[in-house]
Amino acid sequence: MASSAPPPKLYTDDVSLIVIILDTNPFFWGTLSNTSASNFSFSKFLNHMIPFVNSLLLLNQLNHVVLIAAGVTSCGYIYDSATAVASDGGQKVPAVCSEILSRLEEFVAKDQKLGNGDLRTVGGVMSSLFSGALSLALCYIQRVFRSGMQHPQPRILCLQGSPDGPEQYVAVMNAIFSAQRSMVPIDSCVVGMQHSAFLQQASYITGGVYLKPQQLDGLFEYFTAVFATDLQSRSFLQLPRPVGVDFRASCFCHKKTIDMGYVCSVCLSIFCKPHKKCSTCGSDFSHSQNEQLDRKRKLSEV
Amino acid sequence: MAVVLKGAETFIREFFDQNPLSHIGLVIIKDGVAQRLTDLGGTPDSQIKALMAKRECSGDASLQNALELVCDYLGQVPSYGHREVLILYSSLNTCDPRDIMETIEKCKKDKIRCSVVGLSAEIYICKYICEETGGSYTVALDESHFKELLLEHAPPPAAIAEYAAANLIKMGFPQRGADGVIAICSCHKEAKVGGGYTCPRCKARVCELPTECRLCGLTLVSSPHLARSYHHLFPVTPFNEVTSMPLNKTLRKTPQACFGCQQSLGNQGSNSVLYVSCGKCNQLFCLDCDIYIHESLHNCPGCESQRESRSYDAKA
Repeated sequence: MASSAPPPKLYTDDVSLIVIILDTNPFFWGTLSNTSASNFSFSKFLNHMIPFVNSLLLLNQLNHVVLIAAGVTSCGYIYDSATAVASDGGQKVPAVCSEILSRLEEFVAKDQKLGNGDLRTVGGVMSSLFSGALSLALCYIQRVFRSGMQHPQPRILCLQGSPDGPEQYVAVMNAIFSAQRSMVPIDSCVVGMQHSAFLQQASYITGGVYLKPQQLDGLFEYFTAVFATDLQSRSFLQLPRPVGVDFRASCFCHKKTIDMGYVCSVCLSIFCKPHKKCSTCGSDFSHSQNEQLDRKRKLSEV
Repeated sequence: MAVVLKGAETFIREFFDQNPLSHIGLVIIKDGVAQRLTDLGGTPDSQIKALMAKRECSGDASLQNALELVCDYLGQVPSYGHREVLILYSSLNTCDPRDIMETIEKCKKDKIRCSVVGLSAEIYICKYICEETGGSYTVALDESHFKELLLEHAPPPAAIAEYAAANLIKMGFPQRGADGVIAICSCHKEAKVGGGYTCPRCKARVCELPTECRLCGLTLVSSPHLARSYHHLFPVTPFNEVTSMPLNKTLRKTPQACFGCQQSLGNQGSNSVLYVSCGKCNQLFCLDCDIYIHESLHNCPGCESQRESRSYDAKA
């Protein structure tokens, strides 16, 4: 942290700690920039994102911004405004820009090297390690909570585009519940083609804002209008409301969303059709099915 | 009395937070009889309202009457459900009409797990009940210890294999209605605007989840309710302690930082535990992150940040 801590009375209600989770999945960004509808590439995205980071830092002297990248094979911290060294004192804004860009380049190169040769795409789509990045963000926020009575109000902003990876469901839900307990809102801005059920649930449960912008060229405007305000001021603003949160579960066998299913009483796995045996925990259901048939027979007799 | 009631309220809220699909019912022991205060319910508010209304104590306590009432009460629970009783007992004796040993045998037969938190001294009969049925007996020393002992009962205990009958339970996952839709809800029998959930089988409107549809009896839950219990089933393995800086040359010379919160490690004396490491991903974490990960987050950030190590990949 800084060499001398600022006096506590400066930590007013509008000082924020914003942890931004960036999706750096090269499969997703490659697909997006090749689509004819939108010519939106990762570098254009950074052109919107970095001025947004600078504007957050300008809103309040004590605002604290942390960037975490969610890659395909790894996650890591990219930038922390508290530990960033301002080269040529006074030239802070370009220094932020160059530091973020150089660290991002390092991260993406390392991410690609780690995964070389071993990446199998499931049906052509690849998800980013969102659960890992979210867990890192929450650990960092806990560290800020521990730093003393006076600290900025934390929140998390997720800039995601990759599709949801169903194998991350349990980890993402654990992180969401932990954020709910610590009262940390999770805002989401989806830059991909489809809505993300994980992010919708995250924002709904933790009280954050979920947005899927219609025009990606105006992304900076969306950022500053919706996501820049601190938590205290949000009660005065008309922010996008949740349209309809899909709470339906997906069955473990086919991954399709169902609105009525069968739940194993031992391990809580969800199935769309009755099975003889649970595929997750191996519990046997054969005797209980006879029970249900007996009950039906008794009811039909009555 | 006020301390006990407040402790019970905290326990009920924490219990529903950890076990959203469970039900709680309250029983009062007074004047030698046991009375049912509330029926088995799935939401904390009705239980807490009933709890806050009752405040006087009088007469003797009868453990046997209480256990008999509970046996009848929990008899309606289906076989796949776990039945438990938590008794907050302050009396030093029990006045029973018949042989309490028979009642204890009945509880054992019905697979009811009894636990007691004593408020005065240790009593042999309470210890015997808990040992026979597989529960835990603790005695509180003061108010904060009492709260601690109560909250220990909130997370679910490990299930005994013979007791857990595996069943496939049919459940519905209703969608949330759009704002502005007017419907008559089946729980309050009055017209409500917006919000609410629609039962997928009979299309009745219910106000909150989890609940049982009043018209067709289908259990209605939302997927976060089931997900809240997954961390009990897939816990994070405990991390390994690292007491001193390893001397092998393969480690980097630069000071290490905790993978979770980026705090720098290793400035304490060489005898104390400096940091911990995960057995699966070998990332280092500080002690504060260790506590947070195991008590609240239930994910290891290191394992989640790797693509290879996924313990539940088989079912995905």
